[in-house]
Amino acid sequence: MPVAASAIYFLNLRGDVLINRLYRDDVGGNMVDAFRMHIMQTKELGTCPVRQIGGCSFFYMRISNVYLVIVVSSNANVACAFKFVVEAVALFKSYFGGQFDEDSIRNNFVLIYELLDEIMDFGYPQNLSPEILKLYITQEGVRSPFSSKPTDKPVPNATLQVTGAVGWRREGLVYKKNEVFLDIVESVNLLMSSKGSVLRCDVTGKILMKCFLSGMPDLKLGLNDKVGLEKESQLKSRPAKSGKTIELDDVTFHQCVNLTRFNSEKTVSFVPPDGEFELMKYRITEGVNLPFRVLPTIKELGRTRMEVNVKVKSVFGAKMFALGVVVKVPVPKQTAKTSFQVTSGRAKYNAALNCIVWKIRKFPGQTESTMSAEVELISTMAEKKSSTKPPIQMEFQVPMFTASGLRVRFLKVWEKSGYNTVEWVRYITKAGSYEIRC
Amino acid sequence: MAPPPQFQRSSSPSPSQPSGKSEISDLKLQLRQLAGSRAPGADDAKRELFKKVISHMTVGVDVSSLFSEMVMCSATSDIVLKKMCYLYVGNYAKGNPDLALLTINFLQRDCRDEDPMIRGLALRSLCSLRVTNLVEYLVGPLGSGLKDPNAYVRTVAAMGVLKLYHISASACVDADFPSMLKRLMLNDPDSQVVANCLSSLQEIWSAEANTSEEAAREREALLSKPLVYHLLNRIKEFNEWAQCLILDLISNYIPSDNDEIFDIMNLLEDRLQHANGAVVLGTIKVFLHLTLSMADVHQQVYERIKAPLLTLMSSGSPEQSYAVLSHLHLLVMRAPVLFSSDYKHFYCQYSEPSYVKKLKLEMLTAIANESNTFEIVTELCEYAANVDVSIAREAIRAVGKIALQQFDVNAIVDRLLQFLEMEKDYVTAETLVLVKDLLRKYPQWSHDCIAVVGNISSKNVQEPKAKSALIWMLGEYSQDMPEAPYILENLVDNWDDEHSSEVRLHLLTAVMKCFFKRPPETQNALGAALAAGLADFRQDVHDRALFYYRLLQYDESTAERVVNPPKQAVSVFADTQSSELKDRIFDEFNSLSVIYQKPSYMFTGKEHRGLTDISEELGNLSVEAHPAAEALPAQIYEANDVDLLLSTSEKEEVRGPVNNSSAYRAPDYDSTTAALVSSQVPLEADLSIPGLPAYNPQVSSAIDDLLGLGLSVAPTPAPPPLALNPKAALDPGSFQRKWSQLAISSSQEFCIEPRAVVALATPQTLLRHMQGHHIQCIASGGQPPSFKFFFYAQRAGQPPSFFLVECLVNSSSARAQVKIKADDGAAAGDFSALFQAALSKFGE
Repeated sequence: MPVAASAIYFLNLRGDVLINRLYRDDVGGNMVDAFRMHIMQTKELGTCPVRQIGGCSFFYMRISNVYLVIVVSSNANVACAFKFVVEAVALFKSYFGGQFDEDSIRNNFVLIYELLDEIMDFGYPQNLSPEILKLYITQEGVRSPFSSKPTDKPVPNATLQVTGAVGWRREGLVYKKNEVFLDIVESVNLLMSSKGSVLRCDVTGKILMKCFLSGMPDLKLGLNDKVGLEKESQLKSRPAKSGKTIELDDVTFHQCVNLTRFNSEKTVSFVPPDGEFELMKYRITEGVNLPFRVLPTIKELGRTRMEVNVKVKSVFGAKMFALGVVVKVPVPKQTAKTSFQVTSGRAKYNAALNCIVWKIRKFPGQTESTMSAEVELISTMAEKKSSTKPPIQMEFQVPMFTASGLRVRFLKVWEKSGYNTVEWVRYITKAGSYEIRC
Repeated sequence: MAPPPQFQRSSSPSPSQPSGKSEISDLKLQLRQLAGSRAPGADDAKRELFKKVISHMTVGVDVSSLFSEMVMCSATSDIVLKKMCYLYVGNYAKGNPDLALLTINFLQRDCRDEDPMIRGLALRSLCSLRVTNLVEYLVGPLGSGLKDPNAYVRTVAAMGVLKLYHISASACVDADFPSMLKRLMLNDPDSQVVANCLSSLQEIWSAEANTSEEAAREREALLSKPLVYHLLNRIKEFNEWAQCLILDLISNYIPSDNDEIFDIMNLLEDRLQHANGAVVLGTIKVFLHLTLSMADVHQQVYERIKAPLLTLMSSGSPEQSYAVLSHLHLLVMRAPVLFSSDYKHFYCQYSEPSYVKKLKLEMLTAIANESNTFEIVTELCEYAANVDVSIAREAIRAVGKIALQQFDVNAIVDRLLQFLEMEKDYVTAETLVLVKDLLRKYPQWSHDCIAVVGNISSKNVQEPKAKSALIWMLGEYSQDMPEAPYILENLVDNWDDEHSSEVRLHLLTAVMKCFFKRPPETQNALGAALAAGLADFRQDVHDRALFYYRLLQYDESTAERVVNPPKQAVSVFADTQSSELKDRIFDEFNSLSVIYQKPSYMFTGKEHRGLTDISEELGNLSVEAHPAAEALPAQIYEANDVDLLLSTSEKEEVRGPVNNSSAYRAPDYDSTTAALVSSQVPLEADLSIPGLPAYNPQVSSAIDDLLGLGLSVAPTPAPPPLALNPKAALDPGSFQRKWSQLAISSSQEFCIEPRAVVALATPQTLLRHMQGHHIQCIASGGQPPSFKFFFYAQRAGQPPSFFLVECLVNSSSARAQVKIKADDGAAAGDFSALFQAALSKFGE
């Protein structure tokens, strides 16, 4: 039994029910009280996302200032339930203009009821595809005034049938200008030891697409991944071109991708949904190019003084640059005073986070930047210095750079009417969890 | 974020506030005015009003008094209004059945509307009213809904049948809806209709199967080949959620031959690349369950699913990672080699929530082996300094567990000792417990450890468990610690400050042990301790003190043999679940069972179980599930407490009278054991009940049950005729007798070579192989993947002594569990090594 949710609750941080939907009668109405009493009011909160209370199990997730709670009384499929919540939140966000919080829920009661009824019936997940839901949802989301105006709402028309074969795309779409946007977004995770050796490093990437194409187009995407290139050279019976090939550890695709063809020909071919979607996700552990090197030196000068030096080197191409670079250098709790010198950007001591936050708006490639800080500590009674040292954490975005080296070789669009399309390809690498121990 | 002491009960309709009352009558008035209006713009005005009403309803204001006005206003063709009205009606119908009757009329009419969307919505609302006396009005619309030309309506109707079933099972069955659903499931072109039919039928027939044989047959038919193939061939047409449903169904399907298995796997292979993690996990379940009987393919499946699982773990929200990690943990317990080279994936990130970190630590512990132990332990030591104290504790425990797994103990002991030098209370506490367990397993390290432990001031140790461990070490190694008697004396002096009975019990025992080694220095302390113990109001402590006192009175040397006998190193700590329990959880892969680490019958069902004593439940369960006659050991498993290695001087005392039977009266033994045992549950499974001549089997089984151990009493019935080696002979009767009399002297679990797994395809070869090593088989049995063998061997020379072996081999997880009983317990260790060596050569 995949989910068979008995009820779904939206609670705010105080534990008040914002909105709820009871799908089945097999749990009492007081279940939410049990949740508040046994989880929200105790230290349990946040220690485990699945809890059993009485005969019921609770799955809960916090999204901004809202708790989403699913109650089940059977032996439910946990992965499915969480995936459902994640997808549902994404759906709500798309209706609320990217926001999902207490206010946007309070403003959209009717819409949420409508959505909850369509995406789940009697506890079984139904259809969460936004494209199909457009046919059934009558309410328009109330968006925050800052988000962009929604595009024209399609006229609800339930007679418009979506065929089983291409459930994610409607027939008869027409665009004046046929355009495809493709973004490769990679997040690079690093864990470096205090001695400077890489303990763990990998890249999780996703390919996001935005399609504004008429009719029922067939798309074919070629990447410089190893398996695909080898297969191609095999098919064309000529040796593979030299150059960097990327070995993907694992790939998952949007349901629109023809997986049979991927497995036989190793090409990604698909009929895309209209608008925005995530085409594929991949994971790479070998041959990752780290965009930044961080070299920290921390010296303790007596019991109340510390000297922190952090050097950051950018190791991507000189023509590129990183944006929004943030380096968080942890300092002890009993920090009293800090003074800095930076070669670029600005540094600040953030007492709430117990760290020095060093921000550099634009960081060109093949350069380095240093921050040296002097930290004065309050002398405390505790004889031992605290030995808990959180790692240095980094945030950044590097446009036109992929840490994995993945590149799009071609993106072909084929439609029976034979129109021309404009294709846009972008790359960006972000920091996932980029941690350097010190 | 602390919630306020009192919550508003906003979920349930509360009496409306005085200020709200006027607002409601206002709304009522406005609705009335608009009810009959056909004026342009009236619908828009109504929409606004309806929205207001629903907002009130959601925040908990009782707007049920507007019922009739709402119904009147909904006589409209505007679908937006209709939807809101259905919503309103659905909310209040259950509490006001009379009012609900009012709505039946217009809902039924809407079920015949020409717009399929209105038909669907009306039908769904009708079925969701959940009012028993309206059932008669449901049957008609549902019947026509199932035959509706529009797929949306059929989808709703298929679910509606299930809703009807839950309101009135008889009405649903009488109207013959299940068989209609079945037809629809097989023939409908729309995938969502098929999926909903399947969900409904699964639920209906499972519930009916208890009372009706036909329903039971129908439930079986859901797993029939034609249906499974029908769904499999169309699986790509279904949406992701329906795919999960189908995959779950298929995982229970039993293919007729291997070709079928490969066909299904080939067909589903690409599902492993699906973006939805639930589909991937569902597919993995199918793969694992299909290949259970084929050990080598099963191994290949593990290899194949590795990458998708790691991806699932590292992508998505922490909650999803948590679900995936729980499954990884289950898998790694079955096949520890699986992830041993990917250990870096389980390094914790600083910002991860602690529930993810905790599971990652468990993974690291489980996959540690010769090649990666150094790196893993280095990483774990980093976490010992973690900000989060509970994670730091977990990390230290993980280090200790790895040490107990016998890899690279040397280096690990050094690190543990470094922990003690960190001088943090919780680190010291955890480490002490671990050092104690390590010493029990590796007494050879005592010298290094004792030097460090001796420096720890007992004042810095407050936690009962840690303090007990420290006291145990003081008693056990008092000959090596010059200060031991004085520290103990000091502790005895402060007897009243110590509130934990666990610590007091340990203190009594430690002082006794110390007394035997250094009598003049300890005499005072012993007297004081016994006096304090006898005066203690806690029964356990009092009894223990009295017992020691009388022992000493009786005979000092006997007392020493009881309290401080020569000890064998512990070979395996009982911190594992019974294999049967594990298998049941594995059967329920991809469900809550894996998260809770217990089979579903233990947490679902009508009776609402309390949150508390999981261990208690499990204890009861193991008694029920394993009557004494069963040969499988049932070990206590405690879900959250990783550290099952209990403080255990009791154990040694119980074990004391080995080789000492004559001087000891059985009744004494029984009562004291029972008292000791009752004082501390859970004890360990390697607890050896001595083979006293006066040993009463009934008592033994009672103790077994108490411990949840279920020490094997009888081997498999009716052993086949045996082939005897001239050097050793034992008839099944004597084997059985010996088996039930002797205690387990050694119990081990280890990996077997892949080639041995292959050779196990014909279990007979193992028997011949062991015969070559002069180990005879007396009985064997089992189906792939689990086999069970009983072996025996006889020592050459004098005195002749027998070794009896129970050997459980699981070919899918490539593990063997060996329990050895011996006439001469001292030689069991040697024999165990011999046996293991012989087994490891199997398949060469």
